Amino acid sequence: MKLGILPKLLQNLFSKPMTVKFPHESIPIPDGYRGEHKYDIDKCIGCGLCAEICPNRAIEMVEASKEYKDKYPKKYPKIDLGKCCFCALCEDICPKDSISLTKNVFLSTFDSSNVLKYPMPKNREQ
Amino acid sequence: MTRKMRGKRFTMIDQMEPALKGTEYDLYFGPAHPGSGNFGVKLKIDGEIVVSARADPGYLHRGFEKLMEYRTPIQNAILSDRLCILEPLNWNLVHAEAVDELMGIDIPERAKYIRVIMAELSRIQSHIIWYGVFSIGTGFDTGFKMSFGYRDYILDLFELITGGRVYPAGYICPGGVRRDLPNGARDKILKVLDKMEEMIKLEELENPALGARAKGVGVLKVKDAIRLGATGPVLRGSGMDTDVRKDEPYEIYDRLDFEVPVGKEGDVYARYWIGIEEIKQSIKIVKQALKELPEGEVIASNFKKPKIKFKMPEGEVYVRNEIARGEAAIYMVSDGSGTPYRIKVRGPDFLHMIPVLEYLLKGVQIADVPAIYWSLNICPADMDR
Repeated sequence: MKLGILPKLLQNLFSKPMTVKFPHESIPIPDGYRGEHKYDIDKCIGCGLCAEICPNRAIEMVEASKEYKDKYPKKYPKIDLGKCCFCALCEDICPKDSISLTKNVFLSTFDSSNVLKYPMPKNREQ
Repeated sequence: MTRKMRGKRFTMIDQMEPALKGTEYDLYFGPAHPGSGNFGVKLKIDGEIVVSARADPGYLHRGFEKLMEYRTPIQNAILSDRLCILEPLNWNLVHAEAVDELMGIDIPERAKYIRVIMAELSRIQSHIIWYGVFSIGTGFDTGFKMSFGYRDYILDLFELITGGRVYPAGYICPGGVRRDLPNGARDKILKVLDKMEEMIKLEELENPALGARAKGVGVLKVKDAIRLGATGPVLRGSGMDTDVRKDEPYEIYDRLDFEVPVGKEGDVYARYWIGIEEIKQSIKIVKQALKELPEGEVIASNFKKPKIKFKMPEGEVYVRNEIARGEAAIYMVSDGSGTPYRIKVRGPDFLHMIPVLEYLLKGVQIADVPAIYWSLNICPADMDR
């Protein structure tokens, strides 16, 4: 008992710490992580299943902005990342694989309007 | 004469109740205490002795039972993560089993094994947190940091398998599990289990300070434990051999070989040892399940794609499971529509944190309060629901 601590002490002196120095290095994120959404409007058929299954009601179907209205006449999902719980049900239910969750986890922002993901860039100015 | 009167008055005051003589005061343990969780205990103190304790719950009430009535079981599987922050996978399993039993779904064999593996890994990390918070409660900071460091190895596994570090988002869902184990998961699990054995060795180191803080403190006799409704490690620490995994086996537990650790004294130290022994048994279970893991599907065929129109047959079901904290149960009534008509969640900590805690804190020293509080393996999230 008296000497029991000594080997551990020497071992700890020469062993690496459990943590990593975060901004310089990070633990790799595995595939299949549930992070920020990737949305492909060209695959989307505007069925609205993602908005219906969403348990937190973070997805709302909105119309395209004026410039794109001719090309995209349907309603498309607008994702509120502030409400999202990253459950990936929208990814699972999507019949055309137009929504998928990526590995991006760095979502904190100073601008609260950044948490809204519009289906196309022009929507924001409307 | 004055001296005599004074002397008489002092003896009278000494015989008076603490509340009348003015030496009694209130001490708030939580809800802003570092590490008490979102939960408070109002203590009435006379000197160093706790005269009475009153639990002060409700800071984390989110209304799960009502929220679940407005969601389909697939959405509820995701909601059931949030029932307990420290062991979401175990609560996933309780909810999924309730829906499975109500709908009469046949679960694929591989899914059952994966469910048990994940539930046991979740139990290990929950018990490691228990050790950590118990250490910090008794002033042993190294234990706290050590345990949270080792817990992260299991969180890495969860990240790999479920896609989220803490919340698996209904990984164990009605019908099976949402994804198969990825390539190389088996080797990684075995590697992490080796790390956990390392952790157990560190936990088992005889610590005289901990013995002084824990031995003979907060004794809960088995008769009182049953009367107050204790389950799980608390009841086993008091000396009753009970475990839902043995008494009423679910999933594949009847095929697995493991023991139920039972304490004797019922004090804080006995409960602390139950935690360590249970990690050992869980490691044994995961190793067995990984060895026998069959090939095949992981989810029943009609659950592969989540559905919006969900039909549940009429009926009611009560499912109980052994989670890290004790006995968890869900009572679900369905009226034939897509959403449950009523859900009652029976969390193990409601009884541990209110009647058992109030009973144990009566008459102890202030310094023993954190040791007793943390020895009950509590989680305010699961109590308030």
